[in-house]
Amino acid sequence: MTRQGPTRRGFLGTTAALGAMGLMPAWSTAALAQSGTVLRLRIDGDNDVLDPGFMTGGTEIEAQKQCLPFLAQYARDGDTFNWEPSYFVNKLEQRDATHIDFELAEGLAWSNGYGPVMASDVKFSYERMKDSDWSGYFDALDHVEVTGDRTGTIVLNKPFAPFIMITLCHGPGAVLSEKAMADVGGKFTTKFPAVCGPYTYEATPGQRAVFSANPEWTGPKPAFDRVECNVITEVKAAELAFEAGELDCTEVGADTLARYTKDMPEDTGIAVAGELQYMWMGMNTEHPKLQDIRVRQAIQHAVDVDTILQGAYSGTTAKSHGIICPGLTGQRDSTGYSYDPDKARALLDEAGVSGLEVTLRTLNNQERMLAAQIIQANLMQVGITVKVLPLDSGPFWEMGQESKGDTWQELELWLMRFGTTPDPYEATQWFTSDQVGVWNWERWADEEYDRLYQEGINETDPQKRHDIYVRMQEIMENTGAYVWINHEPEAFVHRTDVVVNAAPSGELNYRRFEKA
Amino acid sequence: MSENRSEPETGIPAVDASGLPDHVTEADIRESAARERREKLRMFLTNWQGLIGLILVILFFASAIFAPWIAPYDPNALDVPSRLSGPTWDHPAGTDQLGRDTLSRLLYGGRVALKIAAIGVSVALVVGLILGMIAGFGPRWLDNLLLLAFDTVRAFPTIVLALAMVALTGPSLGMVLAIVIITSIPQYARVARTATLTLKNTDFILAERSLGASMTRTLLHHVMPNVVGPLLILAAMDVPVVVTVEAGLSFLGLGVLPPTASWGTILNEGYLVIRDAPWMVIAGGIPLILTTLGFTFLGEALRDVFDPRMGKGR
Repeated sequence: MTRQGPTRRGFLGTTAALGAMGLMPAWSTAALAQSGTVLRLRIDGDNDVLDPGFMTGGTEIEAQKQCLPFLAQYARDGDTFNWEPSYFVNKLEQRDATHIDFELAEGLAWSNGYGPVMASDVKFSYERMKDSDWSGYFDALDHVEVTGDRTGTIVLNKPFAPFIMITLCHGPGAVLSEKAMADVGGKFTTKFPAVCGPYTYEATPGQRAVFSANPEWTGPKPAFDRVECNVITEVKAAELAFEAGELDCTEVGADTLARYTKDMPEDTGIAVAGELQYMWMGMNTEHPKLQDIRVRQAIQHAVDVDTILQGAYSGTTAKSHGIICPGLTGQRDSTGYSYDPDKARALLDEAGVSGLEVTLRTLNNQERMLAAQIIQANLMQVGITVKVLPLDSGPFWEMGQESKGDTWQELELWLMRFGTTPDPYEATQWFTSDQVGVWNWERWADEEYDRLYQEGINETDPQKRHDIYVRMQEIMENTGAYVWINHEPEAFVHRTDVVVNAAPSGELNYRRFEKA
Repeated sequence: MSENRSEPETGIPAVDASGLPDHVTEADIRESAARERREKLRMFLTNWQGLIGLILVILFFASAIFAPWIAPYDPNALDVPSRLSGPTWDHPAGTDQLGRDTLSRLLYGGRVALKIAAIGVSVALVVGLILGMIAGFGPRWLDNLLLLAFDTVRAFPTIVLALAMVALTGPSLGMVLAIVIITSIPQYARVARTATLTLKNTDFILAERSLGASMTRTLLHHVMPNVVGPLLILAAMDVPVVVTVEAGLSFLGLGVLPPTASWGTILNEGYLVIRDAPWMVIAGGIPLILTTLGFTFLGEALRDVFDPRMGKGR
C-alpha cells in the first residue's frame, strides 16, 4: 500500500510553487513596467464618488476622462487654452449664441452590453446635471434636443460663451449610459455602471486605482496598457516616491519645483499644466481702519510682490496683475500701482493715519506664512504694524461669509487664493455686487462691473471679451482693495520617456499620455 | 499610663530647656547640617551627568538672556537674496527662506523657550502645590472633586487640547503658556496631595493642630516645606517637556505668531526645505536636544542627591 500523507519533498515543492504563484502579479507588473506599458502615477486619496453629478472633483475627474465619453477636450495653443472636438464626436459646432450641434462618432459602445452610445445618453447626462451638485455649470442649459440616434443640439436658455470650455471639456461634461444609470438607480459611487473609453476602472481603497485596457474599446489605443494610480496623500511623500523610481509622474510643490529647475535630476522633466490659480491680498473696504481709499492704496504701494515671489515661492510662480490667469482671455500684463514705499508713506500722511495696526489672516501653510511675513516686514517699513493670524481651512474659508458668523466685520487684510477654469467668466463671478458677504469679502459693489460681467458671458468676440475682462480687473484694482500676488502653476515632474497630458486646472488625462 | 513618662520606660532621652537631648548641642546640629550639605554637594559634583546638565542649563539660560547682545543679526531682518545660504562665517547656522540669520533666530527662540518654561512651570508648580495641599488636607468631598478635575485635565492629550483652544482663540504665546500651565498643574497637584496625605497624620502635624493652629498656618509652615522639595525636582524634570510642547505647538503653527522666532517654527520652516537646506532643521534641533538633555540630566542628578532611594533604586 502506498502512503498518501504529506512528505517533506512534497511540502517543499508545494511551497515553492505557491511562492512562485504569489510572485506572479509582481513579476507581471514588473515585466509590464520594464516594457513601458504600465504608467505609475499618484492620486491624493480614494475616489469616493465617480458620478459626475455628485463628485468632489480632482482625481475623480481624471477617472471619468479615462472611462466615459466627452464631447470636447482642452487644446493648448502655445500659452493659451482652447477647446477642440473630442474623439467621441464627428462634429461639435456652435451654430449661434444658444445652440451647439453635435454628432457622436460611429461605433461607440458601452460596456456590459448597454449598446451604442446615443444622443439620448447626452440628453440624459446633461439634463440630470441641472439637479446635481454641479448644477452651476449647467445654469445656462435649457435642454438637449435629440435629432437622431447620434445627433442632437444643446440648447442654452441664454447666451453663455464659455459653455463648451468650462462645462463640456471639464468633469461635469461626462456622458453616461442612460440605461445603465437606470439599472443602478440613477446614481453611482465607486463603480462605473458602464464605460466607453480606452480603460476600465478598479480601485482598492487606501491603496490604488488601476486603469486596465478596455477589451471592448475600438478607438485609438492609448500609449500605456495599464495605469496604476497609487494613493499617496502627501505631496512630499509622492516626490520621494518619484525620486525612488516608484512613480513615473507626480505633482510637485513650489520648493521642489525650484530645486528641480535649478538642478534637474537625470531622466526627469517638468511639465506645467496651467496656472489657473490667482492669489491676492484682500482688504475690507468697509472696515473703519481701511475705509479711506488712500490707506488701501498705501498698502498696495507698500507690498513688494517680487520679494514675495522669490522668498515664498522660490521664483517658481508668475506675477499676477489681476484675477485672470495666464493663457486666458483678459489677462493683464501690468498693474496700475507699483512697489513704492515713499508713495505709501505719502498716502498715509495725506490720509492722516499713523501707528496703524492691522491683522492679516492667512491659511496656515508654508508659502502663505512666508508671504505673510514678507508683507508684515514691508508694511512695518511704512509704519503699519501687522499681526499675522494663521488659520486652519475651516475658519479661514468661513471668515468673510455673512452666513457663517460675524468674523467678516473684523476682517482687515487676508491672503486669498482661488482656482478657476480656463475661461475668465468663472474668476469674475465672485466679485459682483450680489457676492458681497458671500465671496466678495472686500465688500465693494460697482454697477459697471456687474454690467460688464453679464456682457462678458454673452460676448463671443474674443477681442471684445478681452477688453471687457481687462476693464473689470481695472475696476477691482481701483477700489484699492487688492494687491495681486501670483498665479501658482500645476507642475508635474515626470520621466523623460513619458509625455504628460493635463487639463489646465491640473487633472491628468492618462489616455492622452504618450511615450517620448 | 503616666503622663510624665521616665526615660527608662519610654526610651526617649531627657531634654533640656532648648528642647534638645542633653548630649546634643546646637553646634552639633549645625555641624551635622553642614556635613550633610557638603556630602550632597560632593555627590552632585561627582555625578558627571549632573555636571553636564548644569553646564547645558547655564548655557541655555545665558544664551536666552543675553540673546540681544550676542545675536549677530536682527532675527527678523529679511534678506531674501541671501535666502537658504549654507553655513558661512557670516551666518554660522545659514539662513532661512527669507534670508534671516538662523543663529540669531535660534538665540531669540531660546528666549521664547525660557519664557514658556520659567513662567509655565512656576505657575503650574505654585497652583499645583496649593491645590494638592488643599486636596490632601481638606475634607474628603473636596479631595474627590479636585481629583476628578485633575484626572479630567490629564485625560486630554496635550495636542488635542491645544488644537481645541487654538481653534477658539487663535494661536499666541499666551495660549501656549495657558496650555502648558493647564496640562502641568495636575501632575504637581497629585504629587503634592500624596505628600500632604502622608504628612497629615504625622505626630508633628497632629501636635500643631492640637495646639489650635489654623489650616493655613499648618499648610504654609509645616506641610509646604516638606512637600516643595520633590516638586522642585519634578519641575526641573518638567522643563524639557514644556520646552518640547512649545516647540511642538509652534511646529504645527499653533504656537508663537510670526515673525517671533521659536525653535519649533524654525524646525517647521526647515522641514519643507530639508533637502535643499538641511542645516535649518539640524540647527533648530540641536538646541532643543541639548536643552532637553541638560534639564533631564540635571533633574536626575538632583533627584539622586536629594532622594537617593528613588535615584539608585531605579
